[in-house]
Amino acid sequence: MTTEPPVLGDAPLADPAEVRRAMEYYAEKGWTDGLPVVPVTDSYLKEFLATTSRDPAEVLIPMPHINKHLTVRLAAINAALAGCLPEYFPVVVAAWEAFRADGMVTRSIWQSTTGTAPFIVINGPVRTRIGVNCRGNVFGSGFRANATIARAIRLGAINGLGLKPHVLDQATQGTPAKYMCCIGENEEDSPWSPLHADYGFAAADSAVAATVIRSVLHVEARHSTAPEQLAFDFADSLCRTGALVRPLAAGYIVLNPEHARLCDRAGWSKADLRQAVYELGVKRYGELRRAGKEAISSGTHWRVPIEHPEALPQDVLDDEAPVRLIDTPEAVHIVVAGAPNAGVSSIVETFTRLEGPPAIAKVEERP
Amino acid sequence: MPNAILDPTGATRLQKKAAAPRAARRASLAGARVGLLINTKQNARPFLEEVGRILVEDHGAVITARHTKLNFAAPESQEVIKDLAAEAEVIVTGVGDCGSCSAAAAADSVVLEAAGVPVAAIITESFRTTVEKMAELRGAADFKYATTAHPVAVLTDEQVKARAASVIGDVIALVTDPSAAA
Repeated sequence: MTTEPPVLGDAPLADPAEVRRAMEYYAEKGWTDGLPVVPVTDSYLKEFLATTSRDPAEVLIPMPHINKHLTVRLAAINAALAGCLPEYFPVVVAAWEAFRADGMVTRSIWQSTTGTAPFIVINGPVRTRIGVNCRGNVFGSGFRANATIARAIRLGAINGLGLKPHVLDQATQGTPAKYMCCIGENEEDSPWSPLHADYGFAAADSAVAATVIRSVLHVEARHSTAPEQLAFDFADSLCRTGALVRPLAAGYIVLNPEHARLCDRAGWSKADLRQAVYELGVKRYGELRRAGKEAISSGTHWRVPIEHPEALPQDVLDDEAPVRLIDTPEAVHIVVAGAPNAGVSSIVETFTRLEGPPAIAKVEERP
Repeated sequence: MPNAILDPTGATRLQKKAAAPRAARRASLAGARVGLLINTKQNARPFLEEVGRILVEDHGAVITARHTKLNFAAPESQEVIKDLAAEAEVIVTGVGDCGSCSAAAAADSVVLEAAGVPVAAIITESFRTTVEKMAELRGAADFKYATTAHPVAVLTDEQVKARAASVIGDVIALVTDPSAAA
């Protein structure tokens, strides 16, 4: 005997055949990231374009070498496709602006075998206005703004820029972060100034920082009692040999509020933690040697074994000799996010050491 | 009310690229001025240098240009292409052994061909799809190139030389046409 589940009184009527028809059309066209998308028509697109003063024809990401330009209009179609609400769109535009300023996307990074993911940090009042998750489960899942803003960037890349996996996107493995890696800073539970305020924006501004990342590493430090212990954990994680393709290590520390407060109680500022991680940012020569990464290539300046034909001449060091992998405190950025409920933080490994400040763009506010 | 779904790729708004012209071939490489366009990927330089050495010693070519790409992931600027076309009658480029650099090698090749310079691009087997897609985007759907097994980056000097020797036939076939007027 079968029983029909009860129908909820407020549930809208749906025509599953029609819904499937639209979904399958997108799938057949290859216009998805594998998950179903929201059908976008002209009237729905107009709702997105109405949230910005930008000209729909304005180019957000120029990619002349592949004959593609991501316009505001294409960014909007793909944001709608991703499941964004129209009011998220100014954040998506700011994210694209930050990716353009960051410079890696226009330098073909998403055609690379590395397979980097977009990483987005949202600051300011827009977080509460559109419901960006900054607390528990900050890396997902379960929160529409985080999930769909991140997805708007991926669908913009796949569709708008034509960077399809297996074709122009030659990622060897990619990373799960390609599905979603958009966080809000937990400014309310942080003892420190928010990220955007550190780089010239007013705390009352809304802003988006963006770059491309290799991976997100879990750092368990539940019973640490001193900031020095945390700094060691973070430096050790940042400097793991597996992260080294280039000579130096770099990344974000996404610090949970409990760790941030531990630092603050000990009198450490954000700058103090960065300085400590920088000072600990060394590996022993022998560790690099055992991983075949003790030398630098003359062509790419990537790490190679000393016997590689293109290895630059260098002295063979004692196995215990320190080799600096974090060359400045500015190679390490700090964002506070997550629930204040355990000593669990993350390292977000950026593609490369950022030269100068992170790329941050202001979110447009319409009166 | 149902309405048409919008194309999220912008494809319908793009101008189709006109078919890119391919350079005329020489009958042989005897006396030909050959340029090496080195993309800096691991072992690209020794690989192309060895190809160049064989072309000079066994086939009578002269190496007249060596250009090292500043960014292996991006196609070269018009100025660099113009210089290369002035300095060399034939270009050998590579080694495409990654996603962005293989696509960039295809893009460089199509532009050099249009500038009248036959090109032999050397790509590892793993990156055929991305090379062909890039060539198609650039209006050269029938783009031909030489392939070698993947990977190249980890080979020793001796192995690089052996690989270079093994693609020589393909390189020469790509840039010459025995039926062409000498």
